[in-house]
Amino acid sequence: MCGGIAVRNAAVFSPCPDASVLFDPVLDKETVLNGKAGEIVIAYAIRRVLMLIPVLIGMSIITFSIVHAIPGSPAQAILGDRANPEAVKQLNESMGLNDPLYVQYFRYLGNVLQGDLGTSYKTGRPILDEIGPYLAATVELAVMAMIIAVFFGVNLGILSAWRQNSAIDYTSMVIALIGVSMPIFWLGLLEQWVFAQELGWLPSNGRIDPRMTFESITHFYFIDALIQGDFYALQDAFNHIWLPAIALGTIPMAIIARMTRSSMLEVMRSDYIRTARAKGVGEVLIVYKHALKNAFIPILTVFGLQMGLLLGGAVLTETIFSWPGIGRYLYDAIVSRDYPVIQSGILVIATIFVLINLIVDLLYAYVDPRIQYGKE
Amino acid sequence: MANTLLEISELKMHFHTDKGVVKAVDGVDITVREGEIVGLVGESGCGKSVTSLSVMGLVPQPPGKIAGGSIKFNGKELTTLSAKELQKLRGNEMAMIFQEPMTSLNPVFTIGNQMVEAIRLHKKEVSKQEARALALEALKSVGIARDGVLDEYPHQLSGGMRQRVMIAMAMVCNPKLLIADEPTTALDVTIQAQILDLMRKLNKETNTAILMITHDLGVVAELCERVIVMYAGQVVEEADVRTLFKNPKHPYTAGLLKSIPQLDQRRKRLYSIPGNVPNPRNMPKGCRFAPRCEFAMEVCREKEPELSPIEKNHISRCWLHSEQKEEADRDIVGNTASSS
Repeated sequence: MCGGIAVRNAAVFSPCPDASVLFDPVLDKETVLNGKAGEIVIAYAIRRVLMLIPVLIGMSIITFSIVHAIPGSPAQAILGDRANPEAVKQLNESMGLNDPLYVQYFRYLGNVLQGDLGTSYKTGRPILDEIGPYLAATVELAVMAMIIAVFFGVNLGILSAWRQNSAIDYTSMVIALIGVSMPIFWLGLLEQWVFAQELGWLPSNGRIDPRMTFESITHFYFIDALIQGDFYALQDAFNHIWLPAIALGTIPMAIIARMTRSSMLEVMRSDYIRTARAKGVGEVLIVYKHALKNAFIPILTVFGLQMGLLLGGAVLTETIFSWPGIGRYLYDAIVSRDYPVIQSGILVIATIFVLINLIVDLLYAYVDPRIQYGKE
Repeated sequence: MANTLLEISELKMHFHTDKGVVKAVDGVDITVREGEIVGLVGESGCGKSVTSLSVMGLVPQPPGKIAGGSIKFNGKELTTLSAKELQKLRGNEMAMIFQEPMTSLNPVFTIGNQMVEAIRLHKKEVSKQEARALALEALKSVGIARDGVLDEYPHQLSGGMRQRVMIAMAMVCNPKLLIADEPTTALDVTIQAQILDLMRKLNKETNTAILMITHDLGVVAELCERVIVMYAGQVVEEADVRTLFKNPKHPYTAGLLKSIPQLDQRRKRLYSIPGNVPNPRNMPKGCRFAPRCEFAMEVCREKEPELSPIEKNHISRCWLHSEQKEEADRDIVGNTASSS
């Protein structure tokens, strides 16, 4: 059901990113004129954030169950394959892993509610302290990948739609098809081979040259480099991010290109585009002003979903390029049966995913004024 | 008599489709003088909209292609102008409004944004503030007095209001010619009358010529001075509005007039012209209306009549009133004799 977003007077693409929203449109002209529109949007946002709670509780139950269904015990993983069974049992006992599952779950939930994401079995450090740098690395990579994906995706899509059924169109769509179908690990390896190995233009892995004396404050290397005015480090960070960002951005780029093309094709046939032409608007302005803003809702939806996926960590890309991101962090946690890290890591990712989609939902109203947020 | 503003002669606009060439407009002559209101009448698909879009240079090419003829506007030949030069004329010296006010305004920009754009595209020296003032003035002249309207979005306005905005936007650069493509079709009757009144008022005040495209003869009677009737991509009759309504010469025009419901006549069924519009890929050999015409003669099915004058300011494309009919008859008789 799609009641949270009310579309008036027009059959526009109606995105439905969150099925749990059930509101009626009540934002009328008086409300807008009285300046209450802003309050309504804020109220809507607060309600959506509150609705995060059941989503996250459900999420935590699922991950908790799955994690505990994985064969093998953390104690076994910590002590090694040839450990004394008595020692394994004892360690399990001391970590509380022999308690009934529901006891373990509520203990975990209680801790999370108090802001304690638990302690890593492997490192013995609080996850809350540990996860920051990994998250920052992933955000940096995901944002860069998304910039590439949106820039090339939107423009390829526009080009295809503008010259439908031409050589440009076919070429763009073949590129998009290859982009969707190419396995990321293969593309990553190919990039490393060509640009790092053969041409030697770019480094093949890591976030920054390890020989560099670089102090990280925010864990976002680009921001750090800018704050400290270290342009050499900035340049180096850029060099390191290109290859993984391209590998990671390829699939979203292809999806965005195809979505932009079909959305633009529909919009370019509409009456208001003809009106714009009749006014004497030039072709570039027609495409980038009059058509693109109308075509943007579906693109925004794809953007939100893909951004959520990328932030969820790209295990393959991060592994291939030795990128110390959240995907790698989780992968290592799974390998070493680090239950608290897996659970809390997934919880953090799920929260980010839902928040990004909330932001996208709120952005719809800026793109299309016909979309309005109602109250219950 | 006022100067000629728009002169379309022998215009042929053909569409190249997968299934063959569609001759949507096939040799059309239309003249509009300065400050005049001319009606262009015909059934759906007769080529009247394509004719007007050709003038504006809004027919997508391909698939459309001007296969011949000329369009002279204000002394300039439009068929050979570059896209850039045409763009400068559009919205400036000639403007157009459309049938669907509900969808003709861009839904994601405010009325003010769209009006200011129309002004500043052609008058670069005008500042944003001045343009907003001009836009507001234009909106007032079409009867929208509300101040806040510039910051409203199209979906906040009714259909009639949106058509007023469209008209204001078209008139904002004081065009010499306004092409109105069925501007009242989508509106209800009281609003139709208001819009027609408004157009007449603007025509009087600004001396903007109007080419009114419609299939509604009521609109023509209400507004126009001269009427051009089109059928199957051709002009079939042209006269001033009184003559045409009183004394239609072409059987198609007569048929159209007969199919208007009359209150004072108790007829069981409303008259309708029998048959259908011919397929533009496969036009009849002689007169294009002959298959549906109750007066069709032998010559009509063999030879296409020319558009020829009947009396002063009244022309028609019909053998019934053509002086060349006897000559054509002789030709046909001669042909059949020689072939048999």
